[in-house]
Amino acid sequence: MNTRCNLYIFICIVAGVLLFFSPLIYAGANDFEQLRKESANIKTIQADFVQKKSMKILSRPLISEGRFFYAAPDSFRWEYFKPLRSIVIAHKNNTKRFIYSGGKMVEDKMGGAQAMKIVLGEVAGWMSGKFDQNPAFAATIKEGTKTLITLTPAGKSMAGMIEKIEITLSKKAGTVQSVKITESANNFTQINFDNVEINKAINPSVFQDVE
Amino acid sequence: MKKIFFSILTIFLFSCQTLPVINSPVSPADEKALTCPSPFLKEKYRLVHAIETRMAGDTRSSIIGVTLADPSTRSVSCAIMTAEGMVLFEAESGPGALKVIRALPPFDSGDFAKNMIEDIKLIFLTPEGRIISRGYLPDGATVCRYLEENRDRIDVITSKSEGISIKRYSSVGLLKRQIKFNKTAGNIYQNIELQANETFDYSLLMNLIEAEPVKSRLLGTKSSRDTQK
Repeated sequence: MNTRCNLYIFICIVAGVLLFFSPLIYAGANDFEQLRKESANIKTIQADFVQKKSMKILSRPLISEGRFFYAAPDSFRWEYFKPLRSIVIAHKNNTKRFIYSGGKMVEDKMGGAQAMKIVLGEVAGWMSGKFDQNPAFAATIKEGTKTLITLTPAGKSMAGMIEKIEITLSKKAGTVQSVKITESANNFTQINFDNVEINKAINPSVFQDVE
Repeated sequence: MKKIFFSILTIFLFSCQTLPVINSPVSPADEKALTCPSPFLKEKYRLVHAIETRMAGDTRSSIIGVTLADPSTRSVSCAIMTAEGMVLFEAESGPGALKVIRALPPFDSGDFAKNMIEDIKLIFLTPEGRIISRGYLPDGATVCRYLEENRDRIDVITSKSEGISIKRYSSVGLLKRQIKFNKTAGNIYQNIELQANETFDYSLLMNLIEAEPVKSRLLGTKSSRDTQK
């Protein structure tokens, strides 16, 4: 179950990233139908990210850094460099999580590859811009100086785990904003992206090799 | 095959450890010179560790643990989260009360919160019980033995070769927990190894990410944070 939660987080981030870099940003998207049409233009994405975890027990956010890769239709690599080295790789219907231990990357035995597959099945809808068609989340768009997409858990599966996910889009072309995942009032994760490259070739080994 | 054999052997030997005999200091001068090791917090501290969980010597998973412990009140707050930032468990324990704020499976099982708080206290806080014996183990290590209210014994040991360690024994003398502080440099909590002897034995390897003393805000003092790069 916790694996499923973790992967929901991962998927929410991925979905947010893809939405960020959608050409729709340039077009001033104002509905989900447009999102679906335009998201087909994305072939690859890669970006650095900084994650800030805030919660009551921490005096200031715990900062993590990493890099993200995506290649259509279903290859992902979500990698943390610090403070805890870990990688989630999804490629050709095979999803694995690795952690750094004893000087090398080893597979996370509690990862529950089967659970990952189930969740990644759900992300397929997100990948094609179907943010308003996933029964697990209710989605709303708010236009303003920035576009804010809010995803709220609709079913019981996420109850008590995630309160909402907010995806902020910039109206300015190519400007990356953030994904904010709120678990409770004092407990949220903010992820900001940098050095974004869209549709630049990615070596296939990125989705196969952990080192 | 060899690896499996040695893993099983290690678990077997660990499981069979029982309360060792403590040899008293040989002279009054020796007794006077004997100082109880104290790897425990002296002030309120916040610590963040990367934690590897292992079963049968095999790494299973890796998580981030946050601990806030105050030795003056013996209050402890803790949280476990994934690298992605998902909080799996959060609880706080004050005098006589344990409050679980969040517990997602598998961290929602009956005694998990209680055991985890006990483990944190074992690592970071001086035992509540009284010292019933001081002296030397057969290998020459210095030891002070505490008797807890539930009749458990806690040995706090310092050895020239092994450094500082803590062992908790049940009321019948079976080893339940073993904690080793593998200090390399700087903070004693830099690298901690906890071995638990349960139905399914496990171990935790904790590597410090950051640590900071927590001062009372009323005093208007700033806290400094040691960040491990």
